[in-house]
Amino acid sequence: MHIMEGFLPPAHALGWTLAAAPFVVWGVKSISRRLKEQPEQRMLLGVAAAFSFVLSALKLPSVTGSCSHPTGVGLGALLFGPAAMVPVGLVVLLFQALLLAHGGLTTLGANLFSMAIVGPFVAAGVFRLGRRLALPLAGCVFAAACLGDLATYLTTAIQLAWAFPDPAGGFVASLVKFGGIFAITQIPLAISEGLLTVLVVNALSRFNAEELKGMPLLGQGEVRA
Amino acid sequence: MLIEQAAYANRWRRVAPAAKACLALAALISAGLAPTPATAAGLAAGLMLLTCFGAGVPFGLFVRVAAPATGFLALSSLSLLVSLSGDGAGGLAWQAAPEAVPRIAAVAARSLASLAALLMLVLTTPLPDLIGLLRRLHLPEIMLDLMVLCYRMLFVFSEALHDTLTAQQGRLGYSTARRSLRSLGLLAANLAVQVWQRAQGLHLAAMARNGDGPLRFLSPDFTHATRDTVVAALTGGALIVVTARLGA
Repeated sequence: MHIMEGFLPPAHALGWTLAAAPFVVWGVKSISRRLKEQPEQRMLLGVAAAFSFVLSALKLPSVTGSCSHPTGVGLGALLFGPAAMVPVGLVVLLFQALLLAHGGLTTLGANLFSMAIVGPFVAAGVFRLGRRLALPLAGCVFAAACLGDLATYLTTAIQLAWAFPDPAGGFVASLVKFGGIFAITQIPLAISEGLLTVLVVNALSRFNAEELKGMPLLGQGEVRA
Repeated sequence: MLIEQAAYANRWRRVAPAAKACLALAALISAGLAPTPATAAGLAAGLMLLTCFGAGVPFGLFVRVAAPATGFLALSSLSLLVSLSGDGAGGLAWQAAPEAVPRIAAVAARSLASLAALLMLVLTTPLPDLIGLLRRLHLPEIMLDLMVLCYRMLFVFSEALHDTLTAQQGRLGYSTARRSLRSLGLLAANLAVQVWQRAQGLHLAAMARNGDGPLRFLSPDFTHATRDTVVAALTGGALIVVTARLGA
């Protein structure tokens, strides 16, 4: 769920851009270090950005009968790690604004914060926690993708509620309002995306097990969901 | 992609990207500074006319590109028109908030003006030109490499996606919701496998040519770049001043 161009007040747009900036710097430094050790990953990350862009064009069937597109937040975080997802997410969001008019330049910081920072970090955190608790891999992948997705939408709801507090109930009422609106569509979609991610990881482990071993999260241990 | 079609076939194709970016930036600032919804709406209309009649972008194409974002804006505006408050019995009650109308008008007009500014830029400037501009602004090389690779590979993946979808649809892969999810999983996994295969191929090709540095491509030459940029900066500055003073 991208916030469209110009929708946020200028102060909020600037604030979210400043909030996202340190993560971008850290992400760029992190992948620069990684590329010095594994130069072949330069092409991999660029191609992965194109994959994420194309993935967002897929229509995902939802259990409510509606359909929307997958965010790829959980899958990206599991494959490439949350640090790499910040610069990759920045490129994907920028391209979505410039090639599809989806999102925007003024809201790039806010969208980046929800989709390329909060979502991937929550997904990676949930996955690590699940593995530490020795939960089945399928459950960990599902929970990571599903909760990463929901965290993204919750962050967007917070951003909107903060920018547009309810005239009567203030921030909290506005958050309940935006959260309620998103919940109707996004909870079923998050479940669908969780199932889709499990299917993708299963197929990858069947066809690409060797390459998965080199990945930051899925490479740690057996990769059959 | 409709935006790509227009970006390569408009009258401003040979205008320097720095000039168009400068004007778009000024228009975005003006949209943020517009003191009244009428000013912002006027700005949106002016930018649309400039894009369609100045740069020669077909009006129908402009509308088709702007339609999804405008529809989303309409839905978002409706959500702002609803207020949530306690109903006195411990529950929550949804009610219309007519007092929010002026604020909604301001947000909608600002969004439309900002969208028109964005479209003025992207409908007249191909993405490789913008990447070239970012290179001159000294964006980190790693980000530029990601952008170059992403731009070149997304058409390859789009083609692969289209072909695979057609093959799956031809085998009733999307006849039920359950099959759709399974087919989508296989499709995404197949594309994900291609990420490694294509990345490895590109890496080998680059290594075979000693290509371990930044990925550079020739940029088109813009003959009147300085003149265009100065004109755009002056026009943009005037736009900001006029927009800000209109409500004063």
